[in-house]
Amino acid sequence: MDKISYEIIRNGLYAIAREMKVAMMQTAGSPIIHSGGDASAAIFDAKMQLVAQGNDIPTMMGSAVISTKASVEAIGVENLRPGDVIISNDVYLGGGNHQPDVQLTRPVFFEGEIIAYTMTRGHWVDIGGTAPGSFTAVTWDIHAEGIRIPPVILYRDDKPVEDLFRLIVQNTRDVDNRTLDINAQYAGTYVGGERIIAMAKKFGAAALASAMAQALDYSERLMRAQVERIPDGVYEGSDFIEPVQAPGWPTELIPVKVKITVAGDRIVFDYTGSSRQVRGGVNCPFSVTCNSTWFTLKAITDHTIPINQGCYRPVEIICPEGTVLNCTYPASVVGGVTETSPRIIDMLLKTLSQAVPQRVVAQSNDAACSGIFSGEDPDQGRVRSLRRKNVQHIDPHAGGYGARPMRDGVNAIRVLVGNAGIQSIELIENMVPLRVESWHLVPDSGGAGRWRGGLTSERLYTVGYDEATLSVIAERGIVAPDGLFGGLAGGTFKSVVERSDGNRVAVPSKGEYLVVHRGDRVSIRPAAGGGYGDPLEREAERVLDDVRDGYVSAEVAASLYGVVIDAAGTGIDRAATDKRRRAMRDGVLRQAG
Amino acid sequence: MRRIGIDVGGTFTDVVLLDAGSGEVWSLKVPTTPHDPTQGAMHGLTTILERSGCAAGTIDFVGHGTTIATNMVIEGKGALTALVTTAGFRDILELRRGWRHDRADLYDLFFEAPRQLVPRRLRREITERVLYDGTVDGTVAAAEIDSCVAELKRDGVEAIAVCLINSPINGDNEREALRLIREQAGDAFVTGSIEVNPEIMEYERTCTTVVNATLGPRCGQYARRFTASAREAGLRGEVYFMQSNGGMASPEIVADRPVALLESGPAGGVTAAARLCERLGIANALTGDMGGTSFDVSLIRDGQPELRNTTMINTYTVRAPNIDIISIGAGGGSIAWIDEGGGVRIGPQSAGADPGPACYGRGGTRPTVTDCNLVLGHVDAENFLGGDFRLDAAAARRAIEEHLALPLGVSVEEAALAVRQIANALMAQAMRLATVERGYDPRDFIYIPYGGAGPVHAVDLARELEIPTVVLPPMPGLFSAFGMLVADMVQDLQASLVANADEADPERVEALFAELEADARARMGDRTEAITIERRADCCYLGQGETIQIAFPAGEIGPGTMAALADAFVAEHRRRWNFDLTGRPVRVVNLRLRATAKIGEFAAGKATPRQGETLEPIGRGRIFEAGKWTEMPRYRRSDLRQGDELSGPLIVEEISTRISLRAGETLRVGKDATIIVTVGHA
Repeated sequence: MDKISYEIIRNGLYAIAREMKVAMMQTAGSPIIHSGGDASAAIFDAKMQLVAQGNDIPTMMGSAVISTKASVEAIGVENLRPGDVIISNDVYLGGGNHQPDVQLTRPVFFEGEIIAYTMTRGHWVDIGGTAPGSFTAVTWDIHAEGIRIPPVILYRDDKPVEDLFRLIVQNTRDVDNRTLDINAQYAGTYVGGERIIAMAKKFGAAALASAMAQALDYSERLMRAQVERIPDGVYEGSDFIEPVQAPGWPTELIPVKVKITVAGDRIVFDYTGSSRQVRGGVNCPFSVTCNSTWFTLKAITDHTIPINQGCYRPVEIICPEGTVLNCTYPASVVGGVTETSPRIIDMLLKTLSQAVPQRVVAQSNDAACSGIFSGEDPDQGRVRSLRRKNVQHIDPHAGGYGARPMRDGVNAIRVLVGNAGIQSIELIENMVPLRVESWHLVPDSGGAGRWRGGLTSERLYTVGYDEATLSVIAERGIVAPDGLFGGLAGGTFKSVVERSDGNRVAVPSKGEYLVVHRGDRVSIRPAAGGGYGDPLEREAERVLDDVRDGYVSAEVAASLYGVVIDAAGTGIDRAATDKRRRAMRDGVLRQAG
Repeated sequence: MRRIGIDVGGTFTDVVLLDAGSGEVWSLKVPTTPHDPTQGAMHGLTTILERSGCAAGTIDFVGHGTTIATNMVIEGKGALTALVTTAGFRDILELRRGWRHDRADLYDLFFEAPRQLVPRRLRREITERVLYDGTVDGTVAAAEIDSCVAELKRDGVEAIAVCLINSPINGDNEREALRLIREQAGDAFVTGSIEVNPEIMEYERTCTTVVNATLGPRCGQYARRFTASAREAGLRGEVYFMQSNGGMASPEIVADRPVALLESGPAGGVTAAARLCERLGIANALTGDMGGTSFDVSLIRDGQPELRNTTMINTYTVRAPNIDIISIGAGGGSIAWIDEGGGVRIGPQSAGADPGPACYGRGGTRPTVTDCNLVLGHVDAENFLGGDFRLDAAAARRAIEEHLALPLGVSVEEAALAVRQIANALMAQAMRLATVERGYDPRDFIYIPYGGAGPVHAVDLARELEIPTVVLPPMPGLFSAFGMLVADMVQDLQASLVANADEADPERVEALFAELEADARARMGDRTEAITIERRADCCYLGQGETIQIAFPAGEIGPGTMAALADAFVAEHRRRWNFDLTGRPVRVVNLRLRATAKIGEFAAGKATPRQGETLEPIGRGRIFEAGKWTEMPRYRRSDLRQGDELSGPLIVEEISTRISLRAGETLRVGKDATIIVTVGHA
């Protein structure tokens, strides 16, 4: 095929994937999708290989490589007809990442043959299960995490299969919004399918297939060139994941391990030695471990390589079944993809810092750190206007990003594989019986370093529900994000419910859901980013700027950075700073000696 | 009536003078003077007066477009700005929405955090609170504001943005805060979110207001200086500025709301194209503006440019009505290169104006799209910019050979052709984004190319998208400046409603619109022209977060109107997304009002009929295509007369650009000095 048609098709596929996501966000009912963008879209070739995706949430994309194939194979290619759309969410039956992420998959037919698949995935705020919001890690098994939807056909001839549709939406706690969300995901697959058919009409199905194959080879070629540049060797690392925290449940930290072998243009990630699967929703299905691995490789090499499954061909992943990183039925998994997965990536980055110190980041908040409120709306006017009584609200919180070589970490932002946006305060107050009292950066939370870790944020709510459940799920309440090369750790996750009688209850990172009442105040703060390099090496002027902007307090400037700020708070006391930094360096040297 | 249009771009300032009486048109390009753009603009203005022999006092109207606002945001050169907001929320500007695709590729670990528009030390909180239902749970305290402003003045702040939580629901606190701050602020530019963007969602509103504040002092100064300089030069006519929405506004309005200037330049070209469509009876057109660094696509439907209400500039979200422009980094100066996988890529790096493409002979050594077009015969080395500027074809060949042809193992011409075709593919993709991806068929549109490089690719792009007709406008190289002559005065205003269509009180809707209309009329001053009013609403199904803009049926608003509005929404939603939600209420979120005063006037110069003389080509040219050179006649555009018809292959050239047709394609010279090309098959 000529180069031009190839470029047109290849670029066109990415544009289609982006448009599919737009279709979803424009039509969805859940704020987490329409204004948080917690949804993704991708295109697969006829062999179910991922050929294009939007600038979407990475955590949803890598695992789609496995779930799309699983969805199609469960039904059987020979049983698919034009206008069919498959739905699935189950991690064991459909290769999903966790139950709340529901996938719709459409075979795209042209002249009687399947030429591609379009898929959309959206985070449903509720999928049933033990806790409203379906997002507590205190789950005994997968059944406690919501309805299991194996791959089944939800649309035939572009019309919903009504009985099935009802069965599914009635198993969630918000039928209206789920109905909108399914339609939105359907619209995404439909729009994508139409565009691909138009492309096939123009170029022919054979050209389309050949362009897709070339695009995969092209990205593979670029990725192999990048892997070649990583010094050959064996790099080992380990870390600990936090367990669920509820009375009577196991309390030990969960060990994970990796051995990375680089040889020429191939790279092997071997997770053997990681813990057996555990009780509680922190396990990762294999699709999630694959995604964590693939994301890391793409991120430490060249993020501009056109993303598709070809990027992952140089990678081999070894991970024994029945472990926390390749769990089997009936292990529960809800926090695996949101909390465990970024922790695995942080472990990989730290491990790879031995090989490519200039290409890695200090550790980050990692957690999706979600807080979900669920209950009846006491505002009768709003109940009438919005036509709903029960109202659920999810906020994914933004923590600190680790410091990088030559750059500070970014303050309060979704990092690594996650990217759902937090909700607008005015939109929350307009729709939900919550008042947001404040949302601000937390001074001194970023790990000190030559390059400073990103600060975290804290949001403080006053409950306006008469009675509601609150689920919080996070990571790094116990294990702080580490710094690199002498940088210090970032602050840990913290959440508190202050009852209207003044009693304060600490909320653990993976506890059971609580019941809150009108007037209770709830604060949620994810972890912050680790520092990179020795804080004593940070230019005093940068420290002063941080103090003037309130990112760092004068006390911490002195105690961790050795920079003494003058009494007015606007200048550096040079003499005192020099003296203090010298003394601190000597102290360090003595310790080391 | 004599009018002057001035478009201050990044590299050149374009000036057009039109004498509507005689139909004569003069135009020129002068260098932009970035340190003080007024200088370049005034230089252009006085030069065109000299060349045309028109006295300054005889000019009735000056329309002005400028990239000054855009450049200030991109280069971070706005005023030292403070933000005053509700206690607890000063970090909203920095926290944004917590996600990162507004500033980074999601696989990029090393993205730079965007520069803070307001440093944290200048983000101040005041005690006050309005609740979601408009209840005031704490009023503003004058003493607190006084000390806050005193501190900010001590810090040398030039501008203050005020954005309080829930102010679009109840603006009393914010209005009071603004009043108190303005009393104390002295010379500082003070702007409030309810004045700039009264719409809920605090990050987007805060950011819009802050951008307005950072632009305020310098844009206001520029508007005043330019106007004063024009007066000093003897101009007594009206002075107007082009806004992002494609309408003109007075210097005073622009000084208040400079955020409306962000797309000022590009809006000029699209507005001119819309006006051309009106003249030629064309309903649907795609416009393509290709300059040195970018290719900008817009859509005109039913004679109107498509608008959007939100845009992102340099990662900052701005909610202000602007012409919907899809911009990609493929301009004449974009550099072509080969990546590690052996693929040819174009941009995002650009040679800009300095050193410019290799063929400019100013030290550029990397091959650009313009270099490739030169080698292929699509650009004339002798006659670029009217011969004022000779191009170095050998330098272009050297650059292509070294960086593309040798590594690829092909001839210079083949390498250049690959670049041109890939550039075409990228541009076609942008055109698809504007059409196919919004459910429109490009075959239902005509294509209007402009900008120096626009016509050079136009027929190829039309073939690619199967667009049957290209209309080459007059003065394509200065079309944005031309737009400043033909645009109308426009004010876009909005009010928040947030109610189900079947429950909204029609009287309240009518009253809100009446308020907006009074405000819009006041902003227009004492116009004598008739003002037309359009009413629209942002609608969605209850529960959706994104809206679709729907026009209100004509006439007074009653229950029937609201039902018709809802029906129109349902139909448009189905057209876009292929599903309905039967029984789900339609929610009306914002009311939008547009007031237009017809001040623009279209004229493209006098049409001289052919007086019996025959049309002769000025010479031969050759173009490299499909592996071989094709010889063809070359015509000068100024020799063409209305009604002339020609068949390809041929080249038509003019001062700033060139267009070429293949065998089987034809052109006809239409009215208003347009060239209408009937495009063949790809």
